[in-house]
Amino acid sequence: MPTVTIDGQKVRIKKGLTVLDAAKKAGIWIPTLCYHPAVASEASCRLCMVELDRGDWRQLITACNYPVRQDIVVYVSSERAEKARRGVMELLLARAPESRELAALACRMGVEKTHYPSVTESQRNCILCGLCVSVCEQVIGRAAIGFAGRGAERTVAAPFRQASEDCIGCGACAAVCPVGTIKIRLHKDEREIEISPFKSRAKMVLCERCGMPMYSGQVSREAMSKVKIGRKAFTEYLRLCPKCRRTETAERFASVPVRRE
Amino acid sequence: MSEEIELTGQIVKHYGSDKGMLIPMMQDLQAECGYLPIGHLRCLAERLDVPLSRLYSVATFYSSFRLAPKGAHDVTLCMGTVCYLKGSPMILEAISREFNVEAGGTTADRLFSLQAVNCVGACALAPVMVVDGKYYDGVTPQSAIEIIQAFPCEEETAEPSAKEGAK
Ligand code: SF4
Ligand code: FES
Repeated sequence: MPTVTIDGQKVRIKKGLTVLDAAKKAGIWIPTLCYHPAVASEASCRLCMVELDRGDWRQLITACNYPVRQDIVVYVSSERAEKARRGVMELLLARAPESRELAALACRMGVEKTHYPSVTESQRNCILCGLCVSVCEQVIGRAAIGFAGRGAERTVAAPFRQASEDCIGCGACAAVCPVGTIKIRLHKDEREIEISPFKSRAKMVLCERCGMPMYSGQVSREAMSKVKIGRKAFTEYLRLCPKCRRTETAERFASVPVRRE
Repeated sequence: MSEEIELTGQIVKHYGSDKGMLIPMMQDLQAECGYLPIGHLRCLAERLDVPLSRLYSVATFYSSFRLAPKGAHDVTLCMGTVCYLKGSPMILEAISREFNVEAGGTTADRLFSLQAVNCVGACALAPVMVVDGKYYDGVTPQSAIEIIQAFPCEEETAEPSAKEGAK
């Protein structure tokens, strides 16, 4: 097992794991945005840069996807590494000035404001990290959204910027977006879930007891098709919203005759 | 519909259903249709079992792909260094305003497609505008508009409504 020396602290980790993994093990925080354990690392945000000791020189590397193959020495809190990360953060802040998540992270990194002008309205608030695109393709298996355009015009969009037929309304993209750009909107009257800003909508399944919309019907069908064992229990589980499930369980318990001494 | 299936079927077969040949396939499709129609792209995605979002990414990444039909004429404005210095941004603005079309777009009546390119290699003639392969030199905002306004007249018999639409 190779040893990684981070800011003087030594940790041993399995070969092939990343510098980020090593830092986590050592309890050293490195800010990340585009990293998510569920998908392949694209290292697109550049926020996790640290310095790698190369003997007579030091190189900036992205911790989230740099594999540890032998003993290495890295610096997370060196002046150069911190300056690089803060510089990236300033650029990101200019892209997503309204994101509360990003502002909180910036604050934690000691970045108060950005010196760069904000980008145009149409590109607002997306840092183009690609997590939503990856999760939709790699985890959900739908690839309903992708990158469109290039250069300064690059955006994440559904094909032809219309509601995508491939979208099942699962909301995974909204869950992974690190800056809160993707939102789930519930249209209760129409019993629909909308994934904004992609405009796609899906019909929702209602709780059998209270009628509250719970999740998209396509998601439950998709989930059912993947369940191999315990299908019956799972179907039962999907019937009710969490609240009604608790009530029902409680009722069932209450109806059990209790033996009194 | 059947035309879409047939054409995409032929193209896919020609490349042995190889997903790696997606770009040449899209080029062939564009050569056939003049642009990339949504229906055809859908068919192609289905046949190759490649997500439609991937095709859309490719189509929007390369500037040579177009998702809307081309206009009857091609207007190319040079934005190279010399043309730029001699006022081509003003010409572009004038054309855009007059005909309500952006660079890279086509007028609503499909009279012409406007393209702003980096250099047409005729700096001595700056600013240059190329219309259907014909070079116009020393163009001004005023003369550019006049040149374009002259199109419909040539085709008055073929497209009588084009002139009105252009105004
Ligand atoms: S929408 Fe969110 S997850 Fe998707 S690329 Fe933009 S910032 Fe990343
Ligand atoms: S977290 Fe490493 S590059 Fe984004």
